Amino acid sequence: MKISLNWIGDFVDINDKSATEISDLLSIHTAEVEGIEYIGDNISGVVVAEVLSCERHPDADKLSVTTLNYGADETVQVVCGASNVRAGLKVALAPVGCVLPGDFEIKTAKLRGQLSQGMICSDSEIELSDDSDGIKELPADAPVGVRLIDYLKLSDTVLELDNKSLTHRPDLWGHYGFARELAAILKRPLKAYPSEFSWPDNSSEYSLELDGQQFSHCYQLAELSIGKGPQSSPGWMQKRLLAVGQRIVSDVVDVSNYVMLELGQPTHAFDKSKVSGKQLSVRPANEKECFVALDESSCELVASDFVIADSAKAIALAGVIGGANSEVCSETTSILLESASFDATAVRRSALQHNLRSEASSRFEKSLDPGYTALASQRVCQLLCEMRDDIVVDCAPVFAGNSAVPSDSLLLNAAQARTLLGIDISTDEIIDNLTSLGFKVEASGDELSVAAPSYRATKDIQSAVDIVEEVGRIAGYDKIVPQPLSAPIEVPQQLPYRKLASKLLMRLVNNHQAHETQSYSFIADDWAELVGLTCYDFIQIANPVNDAVSLLRQNPALSLLSQVAVNQREFADGRLCEFTKGYKNNPNGGEAIESRLLAMLVWGSSDLPKSGQQSLVGQLRAVADDLCSLLNINSQYHVNPEGLLENYGFAHPKQSVEISFARQSLGMISRIHPTIVSALGVDSSDAAILLLDVDALVDAEAKTKFKFSAPPSFPAVKVDVALALPVAVDYAAAHKAVSAAAGNLLDSIELFDVYSGPGLEEGQHSMAFTIQLRSSDRTLSDSEEQKFIKKVSKAAEQLGGNLRS
Amino acid sequence: MRERLEALCGEGLAAIAAAESSTQLAEIESSFLGRTGALTAQLKGLGKLEAAERPAIGKLANEIKQKLQQAFDAAGETLQQQELAADLASVGVDCSLPGPTVELGSVHPVMAIARELEDIFQSMGFVIWDGPELESEVNNFDALNIPGDHPARESHDTIWMKSADGEERRCLRTHTSPVQVRALREFGAPLRVIAPGRVFRQEAQDSTHEHTFHQMEGLVVGKNIGVPHMLHVMNSMLEGVFKRKLETRLRPGFFPFVEPGFELDARCPFCKDGCKVCKGSTWIELMPGGLVHPNVLTAAGVDPNEYSGFAFGLGLSRMAMLRYGIHDIRYMCSGDLRFLKQFQA
Repeated sequence: MKISLNWIGDFVDINDKSATEISDLLSIHTAEVEGIEYIGDNISGVVVAEVLSCERHPDADKLSVTTLNYGADETVQVVCGASNVRAGLKVALAPVGCVLPGDFEIKTAKLRGQLSQGMICSDSEIELSDDSDGIKELPADAPVGVRLIDYLKLSDTVLELDNKSLTHRPDLWGHYGFARELAAILKRPLKAYPSEFSWPDNSSEYSLELDGQQFSHCYQLAELSIGKGPQSSPGWMQKRLLAVGQRIVSDVVDVSNYVMLELGQPTHAFDKSKVSGKQLSVRPANEKECFVALDESSCELVASDFVIADSAKAIALAGVIGGANSEVCSETTSILLESASFDATAVRRSALQHNLRSEASSRFEKSLDPGYTALASQRVCQLLCEMRDDIVVDCAPVFAGNSAVPSDSLLLNAAQARTLLGIDISTDEIIDNLTSLGFKVEASGDELSVAAPSYRATKDIQSAVDIVEEVGRIAGYDKIVPQPLSAPIEVPQQLPYRKLASKLLMRLVNNHQAHETQSYSFIADDWAELVGLTCYDFIQIANPVNDAVSLLRQNPALSLLSQVAVNQREFADGRLCEFTKGYKNNPNGGEAIESRLLAMLVWGSSDLPKSGQQSLVGQLRAVADDLCSLLNINSQYHVNPEGLLENYGFAHPKQSVEISFARQSLGMISRIHPTIVSALGVDSSDAAILLLDVDALVDAEAKTKFKFSAPPSFPAVKVDVALALPVAVDYAAAHKAVSAAAGNLLDSIELFDVYSGPGLEEGQHSMAFTIQLRSSDRTLSDSEEQKFIKKVSKAAEQLGGNLRS
Repeated sequence: MRERLEALCGEGLAAIAAAESSTQLAEIESSFLGRTGALTAQLKGLGKLEAAERPAIGKLANEIKQKLQQAFDAAGETLQQQELAADLASVGVDCSLPGPTVELGSVHPVMAIARELEDIFQSMGFVIWDGPELESEVNNFDALNIPGDHPARESHDTIWMKSADGEERRCLRTHTSPVQVRALREFGAPLRVIAPGRVFRQEAQDSTHEHTFHQMEGLVVGKNIGVPHMLHVMNSMLEGVFKRKLETRLRPGFFPFVEPGFELDARCPFCKDGCKVCKGSTWIELMPGGLVHPNVLTAAGVDPNEYSGFAFGLGLSRMAMLRYGIHDIRYMCSGDLRFLKQFQA
C-alpha cells in the first residue's frame, strides 16, 4: 500500500520530519516500509516563466520565437511550436540543463537557424495529465522563477508499505490509521477524523434486507442527487489519488476511492435509475447466477458468494465489485451510496473464487471495523457537497444491522509486560502509549484493564499478549537489551539418527567422492508403473504443484536417477548422496511411515564390468563395507534375496544385495533396472544405488560393542593362497572356506585378486587371498603354516576346485 | 688361506674404489662383510684351521676386515657428500607440476549451513529435534493458533494429501513450527530446542521461490523468558554464522503463533551503504520470531501462566543463498554437479 505524507499531514504534524525519518519510524514501530517515492522530483527543474515577446519564426510558419524571463539575470530565447504561445503568458519552462521525464535533457539547439535555449512544456511533457494540446497556461499571478512543483504544490513523498506486514491490522488500510500510529509514536496530537455531516431529516423510501446476518454486519445506504452528473474531481484530490497510484475516474467515483484510501472503508455508488424497486438486499448468490462486473468480466456465481440485489437482479458481488448493470456513468444524476461491513473470510473466498481481487475486497478481508461504515458514508457526502453546489443528499440514510464490535476488557499486568518485553517502561507511560492508540485503560497499580478500540477489536487484539505488543512497539524495540539465557547446564538429549547420518554422510563425501544433493520428495505418476506399482500404492497429493507429479516417493532411487539425466552430458560418471526420507502409509493406520534413508547413487559408462569389484555394485559394496566398519557393524550380505524386488521395484533381478545385521535388514545395494535407467532419460550409463535405513543402523550400532584388544605379543605369519574354483562358487563361499581353514589362528583375511581366463580351466575362476595367521601365546611354526595350506587345498577340492599356489 | 684373504682384500679395495653410488657401495659391502659375504665366509672357516695356524691367520683376517670396514666407511662418507652436493645442485626438476588428482566429494550448501547451525545451538545447550514432513492439519495449523479460515490453509498455499471422507486432513508441513508443539509435548518445560528440516509450499518456481526448501525452528520455554533472551540467542547465532558481530534490530512482524511477533534485521554484511542484497536499505531481513503465543503453549500442554518462551524460524535455504551469493534457489534441488561440486566439505 502507498501512503502520501502530504495526506498524513492532514491529521498529524510531521512537517519537521524527513521522509526517511518517517519511513524508519514506521518500519521500527508499525509496518515495513519498502520504498520511498519522491513525487515531482522528475520535473523539479521546471520553473514558472513569463513570455516577454513572441514573434513568428522567419523560416517556419508553425514556429514562434519567444523571449522569456524565468527569474535569471538574463532572458532566454526559446523556439516554440504551440499555437497558444503568446506574449504576456505565464508558462512552465524547462531551461537548458533541466532533465524531463524519460531522461530527456534540455540542450541549447538551433531550430531552422534560430537559437533555442529551453523548452516551454505542455501538461503531458511534465506528466501532469495526458493533455498534449498546446503548452500549459499558468495563471497571470504565477510568480516568475519559482519551481513549478512548489508553485503547484506538486511535490509529495509516497511511502510504499509491505502489504504482508499489514494483514493483521484492519486499521492500517487507510491514511488515517498511519496518522494515528505516527501521532502515538511521536507523541503528538491526532486530529479527529473529519466526518461531520448533517443529514436531512426526511426519511428514505428504501428499505434494506440483510439476508444472512452472519455475512453482512451492517449496511448503510445514502441517496444523493448529482445535479450535472459526474464531473472531474478537483486537482488537489486528483494529485493525491495519482500520488498513491489510484486511477482518476469522475468526482463521484474519485471521492469514494479517496475516502477508502483515507479511512480504509470502501463505499460503492450505484446509479439509482438502474436499480429496480425500493428494497436492497444482501443475500447469498444463487448457484450459477450470472454476474457481469464493472470491469465487464462475467462470472458464474456460487452459493458461497453474497450479492447485493435489487428487486430484480444482483447489482454487486458484495465486498468485491459492483455490477455493470448499475454502474455510475456520465448520464447518472442520482446515486445510492453503499457503506457496509461484510464477513472477511466470505469476501476473500468470493474474490479468490472469481479471480476478482479488488481494492475493496482486499480491505474487507482484513475484518474492518463495522463502525467505519457510518464515518465513510458521512465523509463521502461531506466531500461531495463541499466540492459541488449541485450535489444534494436527499434524505436521512437507511441503516440495517449492528455496527458495534463486542470488546471485552483484557487484563494486563504492567510488571509482567516489562519482564516479557525487557523494556524499562513506567506504568504511566504504558497507559499513555495505549491511550494514544485509542485503547481505554483503567489502572489499579500495575493491574490494567484495557479495552481495545473497535478498529482494533475485530481481529487483531484478542488477548493480553496482543496488548503487550502494542506497549512494546510504541515504546520502541530498540530499547530492548539482549540478555543471555540462564538455565542449568545439562547435556541436551539428541536424536540418535542425526549424528549417525551426518557421520556417514561426511564419510561418503570425504572418502567416497560423493556429492551431497537434495532431491524432491514428489515423483511422477508415470514412475509408479516403472517400479511395478500403481499410484494407489503411494501417498497421493490432492493438489500437486505439477499435476503429473502427485506421488510421495517411497525411496529416493528414482529422484536421484533423474538427477543423473541432468548431469550425464557433462559427467560420464559420478556419485550423488542424500540423507532424506521415504514415505509410506502405515498399513495399521495412524501417522504415515517416514523412513530415514541414506542413499548413494553411482553412475558410469555402460562399458564397466557388470560384475566384480570394479562394477558399480562392487563399488557400492566397498562403500557399504566401509560405512558398516565405521560403525563396528559386522554386516551380512544376501545376494538376490527373495522378496527384495517387492520393496525395491527398481532393482536388477540378478544384481542386488540385501545388507543385514542380526537378521535385521539395514538396506540394499542394486544395479538399477536397465529399463528404468533408460525410461528416465539416462543414456549410455549404468546406475546403481545403495540405500541404508538409518534407524536400522542406529539399532544395529547399539547392539555392537567395540572391544579393545591388546596389541599382539607374537608375530603374524602372512600367507597368500589362490584358489581355482568353479564360477558357481562365489566369493562368500570361498571366503568362508578359507576362514574355516585358518580356524582360531585367523588374524585377518583379504581378497586381493579375482581372475578368470588363460591358465584356468573352462568354467573356473580364481580368487586370491592374503591371510594373516597369529596365535596369542606362541610364535607360529612352519609346520602350522603348512598345515593351514593343506587345509585350504582340501577345502578347495571339496568346492570342486584346487589350490593354485 | 692367507693368499685367499689377501686376494679378497685387494678385490675389496678395488671394488670400493670403483663404486659409483652409496647404494652400489652398500651392496658391495654386503657381499664382503655381510652375513653371507665372502670375507665373513672366510672368518667362519677359521675354526677348521690347524691350531698352530689359527692365531696368525686369525689376526690377519681381522686386520683385513678392519681395513676393509674403514675403507667402506671412508668411501661411503665421500660418496654421500658427493651425492648430497649433486642433489643440492640439481636442476631440471619441474616443481610446478601438480600432484596426482585427489577426487573429493562435496556437501550441499543448505546442509552445510544446517550442520553448522546445529553445532552452534548444540554448544548453547539446545536439543536438536525433528518431526514428520507429513503433518496433520491440527499440528501444522490448529495447534499453532492459525485460525480455521486462514488463507495459509488453502490449496494455493499448502500441499494437501488426498484423504478419504472423515479422515483427518494431512499436508506436507508448511513450516518447521509444528515441531515446537511436538517437542514441548515430548519434553515439557523448560526446554530449548531447534528443529531443522524440509518444508513445502504450493508455490510456482522462480529464482526466489521453491515448493521445497529448508527451515530451522528454534524454541526456548522457561520461567520469565522474554524478548531480551530471544534477541541474545539470535545475535549469538548470527555471530556464529557470520563469524563477527552484526548490528541487529527488531521490527514488528505478524505470525499467528507468536505475540508479540518480530522480524529481525541485520546490518547488511555485504556492504556499507546499500547493495543489491539489501536492496539499498543496508538492512536485511533475516529471521522472524516472537514470544510463543499462550494458545500454542496451551495446545502443547504447557501452562502459559507459569511459563513463557520465544520461538524463531530461520530460512536455511535463504541463509545459504545469502552466505554463498547463490542467486537462484532452483539450483538447490537440481542435483547439477556443476553447482554441487563448488561446495567443499
